Amino acid sequence: MPEIEFTIDPETGALELHVKGIAGPACDDVAKLAKELLGEPGQERQTAEYYLRPRVRPQLRPRGGQ
Amino acid sequence: MSKYLVYPELVFKDRRLLLAALADLGYAEVEEGEALPLYGYQGDRRSETAELVVRRRYLGSASNDLGFARSSGGFVPIISEYDQRVLHGGHLLAQLRTAYSERVVEAVTRRLHGTARRSVEGSLVKITVRF
Repeated sequence: MPEIEFTIDPETGALELHVKGIAGPACDDVAKLAKELLGEPGQERQTAEYYLRPRVRPQLRPRGGQ
Repeated sequence: MSKYLVYPELVFKDRRLLLAALADLGYAEVEEGEALPLYGYQGDRRSETAELVVRRRYLGSASNDLGFARSSGGFVPIISEYDQRVLHGGHLLAQLRTAYSERVVEAVTRRLHGTARRSVEGSLVKITVRF
């Protein structure tokens, strides 16, 4: 299940967020939402999972059927 | 793991969330407009202007107006050195950033139709949003 982990430091108000469980550039949509509310981050890095390609399983349909 | 964003210097990007964060800190009365003048504690007009202003009567008897000027990156606080030192025990901006961050988490949770789980680890607040 995808999740976002927010870490807030109440001493400074600094915020970190970590998007987990979304392989590939799909997590850019989440990052876009975060940037819409938070602005450009001071630091941004893709983690290993970002570079995984989502698996697409081919679907076979019988000819002539729906 | 897929993406990691760090906001050491949080900007107040969203006007609505900034207003909510100010209300959380007890400043619900905020004047809004274009290039509003800011006044000092003696009623003197200052050179700066802002788009969001908490007037000094809502801050303290020796306070100056607290402003937020719109910039391309978001709203930038305009606060006097005195108020920065005195308001909320000198932690006004840190507390405002924290309140803003909490509002951001709320907004993201709502937008993603997710559920949030909160925990405290040492001095840090961790909120995990599943969607």
